[in-house]
Amino acid sequence: MTILEASAHALPPPRARLWSWRFLCIALALGALAAAHVLAWRETEMSVSTLVEGWHGMVDFFDQAVPPDLRWDEVLRPALDGARVTLYIALLGTTLSIPVALLLAVLGARTTAPNTLVYQASRSLLSFLRAVPEIVFALVFVTAVGLGPFPGVLALLLHNVGVMGKLWSEAIEEVEPGPIEALRVAGARRSQVVTHAIVPAVAPQFIGLLLYRFDVNVRSSLVLGLVGAGGIGFLINQSIRLFRFDEMLTQILVILALVVVVDNVSALIRKRIA
Amino acid sequence: MKTATGTFAGVRAQPLDGRRGAGEVALQIRDLRKSFGSRLVLDGVGLDVGRGELVALLGANGSGKSTALRCVVGLVEPDAGSVRIAGKEVIGLSGAELTATRREAAMIFQHIHLVRRSSAFDNVCCGALGRVHPSRSLLRTLLPADIRAEAMVCLDRVGLADRAADRASRLSGGQQQRVAIARALCQRPSILLADEPVSALDPAAAERVLSLLRQLARDGLAVAAVLHQPDLARRYADRIVGLQDGRLVFDVRPEELDEDRIAALYATERQT
Repeated sequence: MTILEASAHALPPPRARLWSWRFLCIALALGALAAAHVLAWRETEMSVSTLVEGWHGMVDFFDQAVPPDLRWDEVLRPALDGARVTLYIALLGTTLSIPVALLLAVLGARTTAPNTLVYQASRSLLSFLRAVPEIVFALVFVTAVGLGPFPGVLALLLHNVGVMGKLWSEAIEEVEPGPIEALRVAGARRSQVVTHAIVPAVAPQFIGLLLYRFDVNVRSSLVLGLVGAGGIGFLINQSIRLFRFDEMLTQILVILALVVVVDNVSALIRKRIA
Repeated sequence: MKTATGTFAGVRAQPLDGRRGAGEVALQIRDLRKSFGSRLVLDGVGLDVGRGELVALLGANGSGKSTALRCVVGLVEPDAGSVRIAGKEVIGLSGAELTATRREAAMIFQHIHLVRRSSAFDNVCCGALGRVHPSRSLLRTLLPADIRAEAMVCLDRVGLADRAADRASRLSGGQQQRVAIARALCQRPSILLADEPVSALDPAAAERVLSLLRQLARDGLAVAAVLHQPDLARRYADRIVGLQDGRLVFDVRPEELDEDRIAALYATERQT
């Protein structure tokens, strides 16, 4: 061990201190977090006994739900039709949001925004659209244009612009600045920098995020159906009102199949383009 | 292939006459000053680079070499001084005239800065964007045929025409830097600035890039390269200038660069 003997005169290692300000801060933070959980438990009226008392209610529910009602004309076919509409709501809501989301993403990314005013305005608009849940948009549009899939598309569209625009603008901001600088030096204009340096760099990420959002939107449009915006969610709503839990179970199974298929296909495509 | 040492006598700076446009000053920097906050980076730098010569800039980290080059292409705005590109003063110019004058000076970088997912060919075409109307450059397929042909000539000049369709990220570091040189050539510059062009490359690739830069100088370009290897500077440059604390401390022919000068140049690396 001659190599280590040579360092016998090295400075001593920094002292390890168990008690320090950092330790105190971490302990306080953990304490506060624990207190927050206690308060949350109380305020949300969590109760094990109520759950036990409600047990037989749930057993009744499952008793009625199993076996699922698989009659083709009455239940299964309408469920499949509803699932198709749900898929279409998600598809249109996602696709129609692309142009606006793209514009707001470019204007709301620090690297491509023409000035701070436009940047802040785009950011604020995106934040607003993101902050309002699609279900709130759906309730507003159902009131405005009536029940059906159309208000569902509108609601998804608005919320998706907010999320998509934010994710895309972050992708733009993460593009390495070097090639952009190099093109500026070569005399390229702003629009040319976007088309020749930024677009090639972000294209796969953009498509990946788009597929991810489609996948999320399929699940969101199910929920939108519950508030009257068409699709299979609307059928579930009806089944619950009529206490037809065996029909509802069929509908849930259809949803499960739909979500699994969409999830896997989108994951497969995202893996391919990565 | 030359060995790393002992051959600089063979490539000693030759008389500049006899080369295309030789001697004509393409880049003239005078009394350039720049501070970042309270830190003085350029303290009155002056430098001439003529057509047909390769000038190497040496200096410790923070001595102002890169900043000087960045002032020329507009990546850094100098506080004071004069930069003349092909006889035309650029400090104080603005708008289309500034852009047109600056296009005469191309730059390559230590970190190469190619668009990694684009092909070598598409990257080279980017060098010509400054003289293509945006409507013709919106899509790569819309680029005029003569620009595309010129890009191929540039790629051929750096010996990579056969890799045109390959993605930049699939090329080796040395090949990527040569593609970056081709992109710079596609800009049709008279001045080529190189900011540590070989610092990230292995020795063989570094030799190849530097001999390419020297050939381009022989063809009439004015080349200024920041280098961190005095030995490479001796073997490839026609002239070597040393920067220290934002000032030019020597301007010599390669054979005049002795070890004392080098030791003095790197002795006082500034603590920032």
